[in-house]
Amino acid sequence: MSVTASTHDEGSTAVVLSGVGKTFANGTEALAPLDLAIAAGSFTAIVGPSGCGKSTLLRVIACLAAPTSGRVERRAAASPQNTGFVFQDATLMPWATAAENVALPLRLAGEAGTDIEPRVAEALKRVGLSGFGSAYPRELSGGMRMRVSIARAIVTAPRLLLMDEPFAALDEFTRFKLNDDLLALWQQNRWTVVFVTHSIREAVFLSERVIVMSPRPGRIVEDLVVELPARRDSALRLGHAFADQCARVSQAVSLAMGEDVPERAAS
Amino acid sequence: MRNVGSLARAGLPVAFGLMVLAMWELAVRVNHIPAYIVPGPLAVAEALWSSAPELIEALGVTLEITIAALLLAAITGAGIAFLLAQSRLVEQTLFPYAVFLQVTPIVTIAPFVIIWIENIFVVMLILAWMAAVFPVISNTLLGLKSADPNLKELFRLYGASRRQTLLRLLAPSALPYFLGGLRISGGLALIGTVVAEMVAGTSGTGSGLASRLLEASYRLELARALACFVLLSAAGFLLYLTLDALSQRLLRHWHESARSAEP
Repeated sequence: MSVTASTHDEGSTAVVLSGVGKTFANGTEALAPLDLAIAAGSFTAIVGPSGCGKSTLLRVIACLAAPTSGRVERRAAASPQNTGFVFQDATLMPWATAAENVALPLRLAGEAGTDIEPRVAEALKRVGLSGFGSAYPRELSGGMRMRVSIARAIVTAPRLLLMDEPFAALDEFTRFKLNDDLLALWQQNRWTVVFVTHSIREAVFLSERVIVMSPRPGRIVEDLVVELPARRDSALRLGHAFADQCARVSQAVSLAMGEDVPERAAS
Repeated sequence: MRNVGSLARAGLPVAFGLMVLAMWELAVRVNHIPAYIVPGPLAVAEALWSSAPELIEALGVTLEITIAALLLAAITGAGIAFLLAQSRLVEQTLFPYAVFLQVTPIVTIAPFVIIWIENIFVVMLILAWMAAVFPVISNTLLGLKSADPNLKELFRLYGASRRQTLLRLLAPSALPYFLGGLRISGGLALIGTVVAEMVAGTSGTGSGLASRLLEASYRLELARALACFVLLSAAGFLLYLTLDALSQRLLRHWHESARSAEP
């Protein structure tokens, strides 16, 4: 595996995967060799059925797993400080307050204590948790815990934000609210976001581009541009255009799973 | 309703104990059993009262060794667990010896330690430590291995050093397990000290409460021997309560085991 990083090439590509494949030690082929380029500042969703290797793909991009073939080139995110990762569970340290959890990446980087406090307060404010800094994780709801997790990922002002089914464990109301807030944050900051989900509605609502993966070994079977306005809000979910886009992705997923595709209703 | 419940929780065991003691006293009196065979609880209380200063001083000696051994077990047990957690190979090589330490009855090792080491305080300390250390080792090791794998990945992602991972992730993850081990070790340290005192055969002034218990029983002063027994049990119970309170205090904000302490 090779990871190269350069600060040039701004404004074009953030991540380039060439021929990246992953076979586990037990011989299971998780990812068939694939090529993928992700534009800087874009919001990309990866969807697919369980076990299609979408989480593995994300972990390879994060350098948490080494590919068994091919190369990963990360242009916008040279250092770990430039990458934020959000897991499916909030993955907080239960013994530390919300503020201490958010401060973790800064502390691990050895930043001075006086610099940390205002940045943590700012990150908590951006996820709507001002005033909850001294709460312990068990005193917070599932949605609030996930907000702390997002604050921790954005506190380093990352260029690349990787999210692995972050809202899968939440109820639909909380999930919609977090989708709205995440979208607003992205529209302000324009990080490069790669968002893994198994919810088609979530993928279509959030992203500019949806990548559909097939079951094991994972490969990219469809790469769709979401044809929806750039500025989105929760009202969008109610419209026909949104339903149409969901149907498109849904059809691609059915094809990826080798199912018979039902006739699409005329739109 | 809740107050009645908590009152009953505290009152019921006490009432039960008093009832058993009353039946015991009654049985001794009705059957005219002599005090050198079975003394009644009142005779035990009398013995406890009349030689209180002497017995409490002896208890102090026993507790000194117990607490020293417990502290030593806490420090070395945690240290050994950290060492074993460093690699699977180290653990596989050394853990069987920790088990060996646990399953060997310390009474059988005591004669050797007494011959090899002159200072009787050190002998008792070593024996009590041997009795107490294993729960700390095995529990802390389990705790170190139970750290959330996602948090471990997060630490890796942010380039955490070995030291940072140890202090910020592994040590706090292991803390509830360590404290659970310590609660068991408290009782074991006391048992170890008592066994050591009995085997070492210390006697006279400056000896511990277990030695006094043996002395008294040799002289058939059973009331006095039972008074020693009562004090030792009370000390063990108090030790447990102290360690439990320490555990609750350290974990109250986050661990499930301390949840009931929340208002």
